[in-house]
Amino acid sequence: MSLTLTCPICGKRNGYEFRYGGEDKGPRPAEEGLSPRSWCEYVHMNKCVAGVQKEWWFHRDGCGTWFTTHRNTLTNLEVEEPEATS
Amino acid sequence: MIGKNTPLWGKKTRLKSSYDAVIIGGGLHGLATAYYLAKEHGMTDVAVIEKRYIGFGGAGRNTAIVRANQRTQQNVPLYKEALDLWPVLTKELNFNLMFNNCGNLNLMHSEAAMNAARMNVATAQFHGVESHLLDAKQIKEMVPALNISNDITYPIHGAMYHPPGGIVRHDAVVWGLAKGAAKLGVEIHQHTEATAIHTEGGKITGIETSRGKIHTPRVLVSAGGYSAAIIYHMLGIKLPISVLTIQAMVTQPLKPILDHVVSSGAYHAYANQTLKGEIATGAHMDPWPNYTTLTTAYYIKHQAQALSEFLPCLRGVKFMRIWGGLADMTPDMAPIMDGNDPIDGFYMDCGWGYFGFKSCSAVGKHMAAYMASGNCPDILKPFHLRRYENHRLMGETAALVNYTPDN
Repeated sequence: MSLTLTCPICGKRNGYEFRYGGEDKGPRPAEEGLSPRSWCEYVHMNKCVAGVQKEWWFHRDGCGTWFTTHRNTLTNLEVEEPEATS
Repeated sequence: MIGKNTPLWGKKTRLKSSYDAVIIGGGLHGLATAYYLAKEHGMTDVAVIEKRYIGFGGAGRNTAIVRANQRTQQNVPLYKEALDLWPVLTKELNFNLMFNNCGNLNLMHSEAAMNAARMNVATAQFHGVESHLLDAKQIKEMVPALNISNDITYPIHGAMYHPPGGIVRHDAVVWGLAKGAAKLGVEIHQHTEATAIHTEGGKITGIETSRGKIHTPRVLVSAGGYSAAIIYHMLGIKLPISVLTIQAMVTQPLKPILDHVVSSGAYHAYANQTLKGEIATGAHMDPWPNYTTLTTAYYIKHQAQALSEFLPCLRGVKFMRIWGGLADMTPDMAPIMDGNDPIDGFYMDCGWGYFGFKSCSAVGKHMAAYMASGNCPDILKPFHLRRYENHRLMGETAALVNYTPDN
């Protein structure tokens, strides 16, 4: 399906060059006081937002950069300025 | 058309302000659960709420393949029961579900894959599911159209053969269950969108819909690929789910050449010939979450390449139609069925990925028992949500496949 992503180094490229890296969940939780539940929350749990979400991508077949972008999951289009935060 | 005529399952009823149970999602899992609630538990004051029309989602978009040769001891008995239910439901619903138990042939392309298949076969046989290994020569005798030569990208070593599996007409299941449930008193409300789920003191009290408020002590969310978004949006419960688009397509109709479901993990392709003669085939998923059902030339090319290698007689055959649907994938490729945790009266049945169709009959039966009694049937217990935080993920996949976002 058509998807164009903007790599911070290579610019606009075909979506199939990239690997999806998951919803942005903020920084990795601190080891100290980490419970199975909060670790599970960080590793597995998603919001599955139907709308704009901030997410990670890896330019696998390109420069190898990891970056975040905002994309509308209902249209499969990148959004420059997030319409909403997830 | 829709909205003006009398539906197949009976006259339209007015949406009431209260029900014993409300099911969000008029797909196969929701309809099956409603049917069994009414039939086996005498709960007939049930409403199925569907935003679009019944069978709009995965119910009408899957490739209609049914089988019970999954990998783990928790999953196999559930799928076996579902498989055994097709002929039973055909009689019970008095509706021809067109179950064609032509058998599934899962091609293996390396000795390592054959070893993995050996374990699957052992699990199946232990649970009384007919499944065995075939070598390349036996496969060729069974399906002469297959190319077992060494001149293809992934030469065929052997196959896992599962004779009781096959194809069920998916739309017929939607219509049969809707008719069966409605006959027992269940109300089906199409074009009715659930917009909120209300709770009070940790208990379900009702839902808000586009057509008004409904009071109910029990809500099931079984909305296929839309479940995770609904559950997070309405209740703030996050799920270990990624919603991906999966595409399928059919060729022009051909004379009979393929009387089995043939699938290949290495080629990421599965194919069967429908009763109309088309080759129905599907691929892997587009590896990023989204809620579109867009299709692409990328997969048409992929299918053409894969099929023309292991079924070379299909070279030059034209694709006629392509469509997409949503698959809600979990990290262990096994579903989530849970209830009364953390909200009393709230049930969920989701995370089926691309296994929702083949499981719907048995799951409806057990989810109905769960909702009627409040107690989780033993067969569903392993599928609770907390298994992820307890590190009790199921091994439905031997190794994470590279097309999920988890790898």
